[in-house]
Amino acid sequence: MYGGGNVFEATKFDDVQVEDPVKLEEFEARIARGEKIEPTDWMPELYRKQLIRMIEQHAHSEIIGALPEGTWITRAPGFRRKMAQMAKVQDEVGHAQLLYSAAETLGKSREQMLTDLINGKSKYSNVFNYPAFTWADSNIISWLIDAGAIVNQMANAKGSYGPYSRALERICAEEAFHLKYGHDAVVHMATGTPKQREMIQAALNRWWPPIMTFFGPSDKMSTHTETLMRWKVKMASNDECRQQFLDMYVPKIWELGLTVPDPKLKKNMETGQWEYTEPDWDEFKRVINGDGPCNAERLAVRRTAEERGAWVRRALLNPKAKYVKPLA
Amino acid sequence: MSLKSLDPRVTRLNLPEGEVPAMEPKPELDQFETYEAFHQKKEGTAHTYVGPVHAPNEDVAFLFAKEQYSRRFPCVGLWIARTENIQVTPYVGDQENVYETITIDEPTERNEQAEPYEIFHLKKRGKAHAHAGRVMATSYPEALAEAKKAFGEKGPIVNVWVVKSKDVLQSAEEDKDMWTTIPEKKYREAIAYKVMDKITKYKEENKTTTAQ
Repeated sequence: MYGGGNVFEATKFDDVQVEDPVKLEEFEARIARGEKIEPTDWMPELYRKQLIRMIEQHAHSEIIGALPEGTWITRAPGFRRKMAQMAKVQDEVGHAQLLYSAAETLGKSREQMLTDLINGKSKYSNVFNYPAFTWADSNIISWLIDAGAIVNQMANAKGSYGPYSRALERICAEEAFHLKYGHDAVVHMATGTPKQREMIQAALNRWWPPIMTFFGPSDKMSTHTETLMRWKVKMASNDECRQQFLDMYVPKIWELGLTVPDPKLKKNMETGQWEYTEPDWDEFKRVINGDGPCNAERLAVRRTAEERGAWVRRALLNPKAKYVKPLA
Repeated sequence: MSLKSLDPRVTRLNLPEGEVPAMEPKPELDQFETYEAFHQKKEGTAHTYVGPVHAPNEDVAFLFAKEQYSRRFPCVGLWIARTENIQVTPYVGDQENVYETITIDEPTERNEQAEPYEIFHLKKRGKAHAHAGRVMATSYPEALAEAKKAFGEKGPIVNVWVVKSKDVLQSAEEDKDMWTTIPEKKYREAIAYKVMDKITKYKEENKTTTAQ
């Protein structure tokens, strides 16, 4: 799940002019022909840096996103739901592995990525800095956060970098189960007892504001963004993804008689666009920079797992081992 | 003070609350070496590249790859090779054949006994390498030259991987039952979740609409 809300900031590599013009032309021609880029191809520094950043954040989001749902495995109602929740969490951690490997092919080691995650140097999807209070919260995450992630991932799977596309194809195939599982869980609650309905509505009310920020703020259309779109790094704008998500899922929420906690939410039939209350981007920035309800806990749990497992990894390490980055 | 969580299991970890010093950078090889995994989807099909795994040795790499790549989809065979042991040709464009663009330094005389090599072809960028076949050779370049003669003629071939057969850990015929548990795990399939009946019944009883 969980590749969302990428904020493409301008970096010092913005200046594409420093690149070799002949190689740059070949590179752009390849992408324009619809061919994928593979790890050993020449690529502009901006392309490499942005992809590392994007794939790495996606990987971190998978591994951190497994935490709020993972805590509900032991408390999931019934054996079948425990099994399904466990399978889903296992998938998410598997997705992190696939994505870390894809980022590694671009030259950043998994050790560096995990260090940067734990030290707060690289980010993960902001929604996971919010708590899952009840089983119903876990259901809303399984359904709507995964739904948002799928919108994003389906777009990115058509991107130009071969290893990322291959990983996303596999991830999207597994996500099909997550989405149905999440929808089933929400429908079960929404069509159940009054108490169950109340729980799922309360969870939806809690999660709606973070969900609306999931795709990130509106993109500033700069030459930088245009370059990344031409290189098929960024495949759709944050607003396009948000509109697509609303189009697909708001009707599914309403048909269950649930309400969305935004009085302004409606589709403008003339423009075909959804109108909504602008999400609180100040809160978004505050939380992404560390000051959210669960930031400290998420990183502490990840760090503890890393530190307490370190001796096992040291004991298993073959002294003759030599690092070679994955091939594809 | 230790960190309080909604999850009692996290609270029980007694994690320190507040500012903590930055973690030392992870040492090199903390995440081990990498291995490349190839799966066989069904009987009679070629082994196809599925992706890498990090592992301390070949056997653990096999277990990790089995979990990572054959847990969710049909699989009847799995091959594992250390990344370091795979030799890779340059990549060419989607319409080209890499065998025609490179010069292969074939040895003039053979001193050693020939041994089997596995050859993998990538037909299109962004797709996965698939097993083309096996050749006998005394070196990697010779294996590539043999591969060109044996199956390098037809159509575009964007990239070739060459690895000695002895460096590939292959699942055995008699181990195939390790994949037979899959049909019992229907709860992992999208198709196991049928919600339309519940939704239709709810809508009939409550007259909800999709517009509000």
